[in-house]
Amino acid sequence: MLQHYHHNHELGVWDEEYEQRPPTPRRTDSPDDINPFLLERTPETPLEQLTRHWLNERHAPDILPAQEELLSGMLDHLRRQSEAVHLLRGDPSSSDEEHIRIMLVQTEIERVKFIVRSYVRTRLFKIEKYARFVTSNADVQRRLTAAERDHASRHAKITDQHFYLSVLQSLPDAQAHLDDTPVFYPSMVTEPDKSRPVFVHALTRCSQITLPDGATLDMEKGHISLTLYSVVEQLVARGEVELI
Amino acid sequence: MALPQSLRQSVTPPELELIASQELIDVVPLISMERTAFISGAYGPLRPPNKARIPLWMAVNLKLKKKCHIVAPDWFNVDYLQTRLARETSEPVFSDLPFRFAEISKVLLDVASDDLENPDKLRSLLKDLREARQAKCREGLRQIDHSELSLPNLCSMEINEIRPFFIESMSVLTRLVRNPIVDR
Repeated sequence: MLQHYHHNHELGVWDEEYEQRPPTPRRTDSPDDINPFLLERTPETPLEQLTRHWLNERHAPDILPAQEELLSGMLDHLRRQSEAVHLLRGDPSSSDEEHIRIMLVQTEIERVKFIVRSYVRTRLFKIEKYARFVTSNADVQRRLTAAERDHASRHAKITDQHFYLSVLQSLPDAQAHLDDTPVFYPSMVTEPDKSRPVFVHALTRCSQITLPDGATLDMEKGHISLTLYSVVEQLVARGEVELI
Repeated sequence: MALPQSLRQSVTPPELELIASQELIDVVPLISMERTAFISGAYGPLRPPNKARIPLWMAVNLKLKKKCHIVAPDWFNVDYLQTRLARETSEPVFSDLPFRFAEISKVLLDVASDDLENPDKLRSLLKDLREARQAKCREGLRQIDHSELSLPNLCSMEINEIRPFFIESMSVLTRLVRNPIVDR
């Protein structure tokens, strides 16, 4: 019976694929495995990477660099798995056990889609919230994809127009701007608040982190801290810590 | 809106469960399956009665269809949790438990309590652990300042629980410290 499965050519859709994939990394959680002088980590699978970026994006007050390559790779993989499911679904001769296999692959597709969707929506939410800031800040623009940049400028333009037509056009000139930066008041353009605290988890040893009170902090691998986003911004960007 | 209000400040427990369900767990399959390529990696082959290591979500799926028995992780038994609880109540620091133990143990108790030894005792131990650790979290709030708070061995679900209050507290302290400098 088992031999039969091996030679079923339709199963090749999945069987071939895993040959090309790197072996699933093992979590090395026991302290003996940790060499503090070694920066190298066990390689993350694309899905683990996406999950990390998704959670970072959810927790970070700022818009993080777009993961275009990772995301399009994941979408490709989703499409390939969906096609394989579709192909096998149409086969009336497939056994009960084969049905379970199809169901499991389908379940995983839905799980991954949820993460992809939530990741994209989180970015979209921040882009809309900070649309005006995005259009005037080249640094943030570099972190967005072309489609996201386009969305930001269109969103900013539409809301500006709406404000103008509904209120601003009837106000005196001096009060009809949307980008005043009055003294003693916050700017009218909403910016990400980088001083918002975040929970960080060190993925490698991070030493000499300067804290707002002037002290320095050394984080061992696995260390968990609550601190300001601005303190760990660079570490998040380099993937040395993750937000949790 | 792109993101519902409830999801803007924090992740939700079901989302944490989704993430935790990616962790691998041992099962004794009752069906056979060839090694299969999934997006998260290749799993199998399943050959009853040999143990296999698969993601938790897959194990739950098979378990609900009565196609496998789940083998509890080595930290999920009465003895282990009892020593952890003893440490939790006698020492001031958080005892080390797997980062996602709350999510995983909930899933296991929900779908596979018949595969566990003494699930009722496990439930009450988890509840006691949670209470002991919650008390320590509240203590931790005393130490919060505008700069940094180390929280070794705190678990994912606990962090999520204290998040709104701790973040807001630290934000307030940050504003108190920052504003005088701006005004100067």
